Amino acid sequence: MAAIKTENLEKELRSLIAEIIEVEEEKITLDASFVEDLGMDSMMALEILAAIEKKYKLRIPEEHLTKITNLKQVVNTTKEFFGKK
Amino acid sequence: MKLNIEDIKQILPQREPFLFIDEVLEFEEGKKVVAIKNITGKEDFFKGHFPGNPIMPGVLIIEAMAQAAIILASTILPKEEGKKYIYYLAKSNIRFLKPVFPKAKLKLVVEPLKIISGAGIVKTEAYIEDEIVARGEISFGRKEE
Repeated sequence: MAAIKTENLEKELRSLIAEIIEVEEEKITLDASFVEDLGMDSMMALEILAAIEKKYKLRIPEEHLTKITNLKQVVNTTKEFFGKK
Repeated sequence: MKLNIEDIKQILPQREPFLFIDEVLEFEEGKKVVAIKNITGKEDFFKGHFPGNPIMPGVLIIEAMAQAAIILASTILPKEEGKKYIYYLAKSNIRFLKPVFPKAKLKLVVEPLKIISGAGIVKTEAYIEDEIVARGEISFGRKEE
């Protein structure tokens, strides 16, 4: 699934994350820390991972949960698993 | 595989009057749990919810779903000998479709969406006969006691 552009993916993921963390999309910059700046907890991180899996029909193993730290990392991780699809 | 009340008590830490699973009809490791709670009408909460018009509170349907989720999680999450675990509800997103009245067999179906070592998200549905009465998702965590 190489067709999806990074900027579109970024936009989609920002919206998905905003809904789970319950913050405005504008606050989710590429580098804003989900935990320190946006108040994410560990259950929300799991929900983000599960929502990405569902939306893009991916399977992302548990060890990648630690990469749910900011939008840039989430975009990169999601792209990595698109490649493995 | 089926589980009786004694098997269930080995898995669930809850006890009467807060045990909301009476039997497990299907117990497919890591994939699915189908459980039953018999609603007799003698439960204490019916006295107040509502006087003369007994309806099972939605929050207790969520509780029954969450207990079925623990049974499912117990088949997936690793257990260490001698350790006890407590489960906590992190989030519930349930839509209630029909009211549940006394003298019903509430059937709870739970399937995993994502379960990791100390937490999980499950998809769940509740039925009376074959009619769906509630459905949604539940997130929960597990800690050592």
